Amino acid sequence: MIPTHWFLILSAILFTIGVCGVLTRKNGITIFMCIELMVNAVNLTFVAYARQFHQVHGLLFVFFVMAIAAAEAAVGLAIFISLFHQRHTIDVDEANLMRW
Amino acid sequence: MAQFVPFAVFFFFAAVAVIFAAAVVLHRNPVVGALSLVASFFALAVMYVLLEAPFLAALQVIVYAGAIMVLFLFVIMLLNLQHQEEPRTRPVQQFLGYTSSAAFGLALIYYLAKFGVTQLPDGPFVSDARTVGIKMFESYIFPFEMVSILLLAAIVGALLLSGRTGTSVLPAPSTATLDDQDTRPALHSEVESR
Amino acid sequence: MHGIDWVDAGLSALKIAIVLGAMLNVTPIMVWVERRGSALIQDRPGPNRVGPFGLFQSFADALKFVLKEDMLPEKANKVLYTIAPMFGLIPALTTIAVVPWGRPFTLPGGRLFEPIIANVNIGILLIFALASMGVYGIVMAGWASANKYSLFGGIRASAQMISYELALTLAAVSALMVAGSLSLTDVVWRQTGSFVLFNVIKLPAWNIFSPAMWMAFIVFFVSGFAETNRLPFDFAEAEAELVAGYHTEYSSMKFALFFMSEYMAMATMSALVATLFFGGWDIPWYNEPATWVGFALSVLSFVAKVAAILFVFVWVRWTIPRLKYDLLMKLGWKVFLPMAVINIVIVAWFIARGWI
Repeated sequence: MIPTHWFLILSAILFTIGVCGVLTRKNGITIFMCIELMVNAVNLTFVAYARQFHQVHGLLFVFFVMAIAAAEAAVGLAIFISLFHQRHTIDVDEANLMRW
Repeated sequence: MAQFVPFAVFFFFAAVAVIFAAAVVLHRNPVVGALSLVASFFALAVMYVLLEAPFLAALQVIVYAGAIMVLFLFVIMLLNLQHQEEPRTRPVQQFLGYTSSAAFGLALIYYLAKFGVTQLPDGPFVSDARTVGIKMFESYIFPFEMVSILLLAAIVGALLLSGRTGTSVLPAPSTATLDDQDTRPALHSEVESR
Repeated sequence: MHGIDWVDAGLSALKIAIVLGAMLNVTPIMVWVERRGSALIQDRPGPNRVGPFGLFQSFADALKFVLKEDMLPEKANKVLYTIAPMFGLIPALTTIAVVPWGRPFTLPGGRLFEPIIANVNIGILLIFALASMGVYGIVMAGWASANKYSLFGGIRASAQMISYELALTLAAVSALMVAGSLSLTDVVWRQTGSFVLFNVIKLPAWNIFSPAMWMAFIVFFVSGFAETNRLPFDFAEAEAELVAGYHTEYSSMKFALFFMSEYMAMATMSALVATLFFGGWDIPWYNEPATWVGFALSVLSFVAKVAAILFVFVWVRWTIPRLKYDLLMKLGWKVFLPMAVINIVIVAWFIARGWI
């Protein structure tokens, strides 16, 4: 049996990579993909703990996270499409209308 | 010998997940990034199988790799983004981003390794579709219904946002549907990139 | 730990060899059927020079593919361009593993021989998961070719797959609700035997004959055409509009791989339709004995069903013209998706009333 904390460490590494991408990239869709990566890292943690404590609740949370990620992807990509129509770029620095 | 197989599988697919996740961050081309993310998600599905949750692994591949990432690829190719040069991030921001996330990751791993639980409970972990489904519709029926409303709101929101209506916030009352809006921006960006 | 059961491993290898051999031979046979079938429908002779009835035409074609020059477009993304055809082939070859293709029977040693490569309890989910990976082969090929027609083919394929996968999955849910299991073995066992409809006629207990299931069957079958990129839904390659769509730039064996994966995906889809709605290996009005005779007869029955559905694929291709693209989307989202959901409600009602 593979110890649970190995999965947690893998999840931490993936989450860190996602954070790094969000902080250093400017392409909106790439940032969005990095957020999906972070969400998935959290899902892995849920499943790992679900097996650790033999609780199905962890799996159900993953189910909800997936549904919400799907909703988020639909709305987020729609936002980027309309941003592209207005500015002809999806560079997040260009979307500064609401910036103080 | 047979008991080492899960470990080998774990390390191979952990490496796949990490390498392709890094490719998402480091590669300049969003199409390659999206395909790398698919590979990473697939490796995560293998992790779920190792964690005795094959039902969730199948869901992971269907929902993430099969639906969400196809949507990402569709949008990237529709907007023809691969020809757009992404401006370089300022070195300060890049340095701060890498160092802070590295520090964050190291701290996470340190504490996980320090307080890691190694004792697994006895017996197999039952996580088939039946168990998950019964739990879902007994304990989580209210969140489940909420998620369905959220998804409906997301559909309406996505339709409203992606409508091509110039500068106005609300779209004009038109009979436009998802399909005939979606073909136009492709032609539009096609012309521009020539 | 326990050692490896060599007899079991040998039987598994045998099953894999049988299924793989069948799947690899689907392509040449189906190419011949397609060409002769189209000739039959269009009232012309078709290929009839190579071998009897032109049966060896496919092998001549295969030889031609091998001998052709393998071109690589200058601006193509070389890695993705090369692995895209393989990506198309993987789902086509792997999904068949969870489909049962015969009645289990007891071997002389008292061991049960189950004619299915991997009897997993999430069978159908595995099929949908792997089949959804099939779109990446097309999208990758379309994008990596650096060709505008190919790109359009890839974009269309991705939109079409998302739309029709929903309807396909929801239509399959009806069949799974009747069986009460995600495993295809249970789905087939549920459909063995027969029932008496309206106290008049004795029908096999296949899902297709159930009054609650015909809508799900229509949705599943037509979405299956869209899922395998066959006419009238072959928008990814639409030769009248996009030259050859996603495989415009491909030649030689890489092109042949796309060809093979299309026919293998078709065979898998036919096997799935036969399993979910036509009782899999069940022989109507006949109770197969649990011996090798019953096994052989059930395999023949399964192959006959798959072949008949494959012929319908060919028949439809040469009969119905391609839809307009917006019609495709409207059909998927506004007709098939509601139909599939309504059918789920109907089946749930039937189950609640105890009619199924």
